[in-house]
Amino acid sequence: MARLFPIRHVMGYIFSLVLSLVALGVIYWDLTFSAAMVILIISALIQASLQLVLFMHIGETSSKKTLYLNIAYAVFVGVATIFGTLFAMIWGY
Amino acid sequence: MKWDEFFVTGEPMIYAADVSIVLVSLAIVIGLTYFKKWGYLWREWLTTVDHKKIGIMYILSALIMLFRGGVDALLMRAQLATPDSKFLDAQHYNEIFTTHGVIMILFMAMPFVIGMMNVVVPLQIGARDVAFPRLNAVSFWMFFMGAMLFNISFVIGGSPDAGWSAYFPLASLEFSPTVGNNYYSLALQISGIGTLMTGVNFIVTILKMRAPGMKLMRMPMFTWSVLITNVIILFAFPVLTVALALMMFDRVFGSQFFTMANGGMDMLWANLFWVWGHPEVYIVILPAFGIFSDIISTFSKKNLYGYKSMVVSMVAISVLSFLVWAHHFYTMGQGAMVNGFFSITTMAIAVPTGVKIFNWLFTLRKGKISFTSPMLYAMGFIPIFTIGGVTGVMLAMASADYQYHNTMFLVAHFHYVLIPGTVFGVLAGMHYWFPKMFGFRLNERLAKTAFWLIIVGFNVAFMPLFFLGLNGMTRRMYTYSASTGYGPLNMIATIGALILAVGFVVLCYNFFYSFRHSPRNEGGDPWDARTLEWSTPSPVPVYNFAKVPVVHSEDAFWHAKKHNVPLYEEGPYEEIHMPNNSGQPFILGVIMFFLGFFLVFSWFIPAIIAGVGVIIMLAVRSFERDHGYHIPPKEIAATEQKLRGDTV
Amino acid sequence: MKINDTLPLEYRTEENSNKIFGFWLFLGAEIVLFSTLFAVYFTLWNRTGNGPTGKELFEVGGVIWETFLLLTSSFTCGLGIHAMRLGLKKPMMIFFVVTLLMGLGFLGIEITEFVNYVHEGATLQTSAFLSSLFVLLGTHGLHVTMGILWGAGILIQVGRQGFTDETANKSFIFSLYWHFLDVVWIFIFSFVYLKGLM
Repeated sequence: MARLFPIRHVMGYIFSLVLSLVALGVIYWDLTFSAAMVILIISALIQASLQLVLFMHIGETSSKKTLYLNIAYAVFVGVATIFGTLFAMIWGY
Repeated sequence: MKWDEFFVTGEPMIYAADVSIVLVSLAIVIGLTYFKKWGYLWREWLTTVDHKKIGIMYILSALIMLFRGGVDALLMRAQLATPDSKFLDAQHYNEIFTTHGVIMILFMAMPFVIGMMNVVVPLQIGARDVAFPRLNAVSFWMFFMGAMLFNISFVIGGSPDAGWSAYFPLASLEFSPTVGNNYYSLALQISGIGTLMTGVNFIVTILKMRAPGMKLMRMPMFTWSVLITNVIILFAFPVLTVALALMMFDRVFGSQFFTMANGGMDMLWANLFWVWGHPEVYIVILPAFGIFSDIISTFSKKNLYGYKSMVVSMVAISVLSFLVWAHHFYTMGQGAMVNGFFSITTMAIAVPTGVKIFNWLFTLRKGKISFTSPMLYAMGFIPIFTIGGVTGVMLAMASADYQYHNTMFLVAHFHYVLIPGTVFGVLAGMHYWFPKMFGFRLNERLAKTAFWLIIVGFNVAFMPLFFLGLNGMTRRMYTYSASTGYGPLNMIATIGALILAVGFVVLCYNFFYSFRHSPRNEGGDPWDARTLEWSTPSPVPVYNFAKVPVVHSEDAFWHAKKHNVPLYEEGPYEEIHMPNNSGQPFILGVIMFFLGFFLVFSWFIPAIIAGVGVIIMLAVRSFERDHGYHIPPKEIAATEQKLRGDTV
Repeated sequence: MKINDTLPLEYRTEENSNKIFGFWLFLGAEIVLFSTLFAVYFTLWNRTGNGPTGKELFEVGGVIWETFLLLTSSFTCGLGIHAMRLGLKKPMMIFFVVTLLMGLGFLGIEITEFVNYVHEGATLQTSAFLSSLFVLLGTHGLHVTMGILWGAGILIQVGRQGFTDETANKSFIFSLYWHFLDVVWIFIFSFVYLKGLM
């Protein structure tokens, strides 16, 4: 039974629950907007990395460099789209 | 939807189109039946998963779409030739410039470029096919059915009429109440998904299926350009997918994304469209750069100058292409900070492009140049494209752009970029690789005649538009009065368009002429070229390479020829594993066509049935156990004997 | 056919290894797709017109359950793949069934939530904010739905054929997809719900 629940996965799961709870804190604690956003961004990024590394095994093959590059490029385009859109449509006036 | 609105009525041109569609369809059906070719068509083409045949189908569709888009262009030029012309009314003119733009970019340039990739890339890297042959067929049929869906809008329901960029609020249900823009969103969506899958397919092919010894920095430049292009496709097309879906939601389900009330933001559409739209420009231009690089190197008898800088500049272009989009709407009213940022990134992108121009010039320098038809296109491209590029930098300056914005100057600029870039590129590539596809070359004399007509016609047609734009003629105006003084230059432009059209007729006539008269026994390497695809016999056998080539340097085939190094290892042939043909991609395409068509008219029950059909097709594919077939060594030996007259 | 014995079953043939690689690329495209939807949502989130705002609409209870279900399903999905690599068919299938059931639970809560919104007069047509909310959540929900259908199909194949090159490959690719949906949900949870309730 124990070998069905490897420690990496269990730790990853517990850690992701804890991170969700921390994120949930922003609506109960009395925080400034920027402090809350920092908490949300950091906890979400750690969660995403947890999934990628622990559950999706991104680093297990010889193509891992390409895979990291792929994710990095996608995140670059995604971030450029989100912030570029906000920049052009809302902040830039 | 009233039934009397279903078919477009009231225009002689529409009735002519109705009649010709019926006649052409009848002719195809009767011809296929008479010559007993239904089975052949199904077995050899509709169900094929062979990258070479899929490539040919892409190119053929692109040529047909080039004809459709070209007729649109001629109609526009006819209307604008004289002041106060009554040839087309405003509505009809709007529809024609819309379909001209959409068809030329998405259903001509894209499939032409993707067709070239399909035919050439696996051969250039020494692979037997693309990574996912079945997915490749799905991509093609999605594109093809999207294109057909878009084209039937002309006779059923009405064409879109809000420009190829379909800006809101004009494209909203309120201001464009016909189903035209529903066609736009759904047809582009279907073919766009196909393109996205092509992106995945070719990146995997190029990164994972190269012949042994072909390191990344030994790949032919066309393959490099295709790799970069597909990276851009992979990350740009999802944005289009979202934008088109939101457009469909606004038009079909009444959501409020781009409306003018309830918080909607009309310019958000323009923003999303160009987040995809500007990378799209590089998607159609980079492969052309790759084609020119290979052609210039081949016909100068030199290796490409500045290989590394070519690669670095393409990577730089791919990154920068995602950071320039707002230059398409400098005049929206945003602040100087936004315009400043996008102005600088836009000008920065001219640097890597300039690097490439110089590399081509240095490749030519001291080369033994032979002026074949592909080379003529490449030589024509360099100066004309430079004009397009320089005027692009003029437009990139935000403050100056207020003067040029949406004038004929812009129209001239992007035609000066896209025609010498993309169109000359794919035409050069078509002439260059034609023997690889069909086993004979196009007639050089006719090809050169066509080239000169095209290049002269092009300049006569578009150079006047720069001056018309500077004089204040805006784009998309369907007529003008004589007192504006636009008449003479417009007349010249129309004459140029006619010369251009004659050039394309000669180019097409050349297919028939060469089919009948070209010599068939020129071997696999008629141009004395440099890259691996020319080491195969022409036309290429289904398995491409009887033995997988071993690469020792850049320009592998040239190296092998000059230094007498064998490309293939000694030893007997081994069994080759090949994928089976399948009718599923075609059927899936047909179902997608109907799904799109039903959604265009908001017929939800049939649309749901078609949607279930799509899911069933996916399930069928998932449960299928198809392991392909094997070609035995004996059969390979026999085929090679026949094609080469010897054993490798 | 090239066989590489140093890697788990799902990578063994070149074709299957390419499929996994290709799917990672596809996930790159999915990242951009959801980023674009987020860009739209962030642009429109306070353009509520005459409709309700996020703060008036969101209820934290359902969202916590949704998050818990999806996080746990991602965990069990990972355990399923782990069991597969140990060659244990029955535990793998149990883990996958649990995964899909939790996916269904998630969908049930999401659909209830949508129905409640509509009852409160907050529909797709009400305001730009609601349009972007429904389409962002709906796209994720549609992905989950497709995932459930897909996963069920794979379970049937594993049940019939056991672990082969193909079924192992399909199961692994499915797990990538499922974990990815969890990642997307984390961002929705943080930047739609929590930020909206702040």
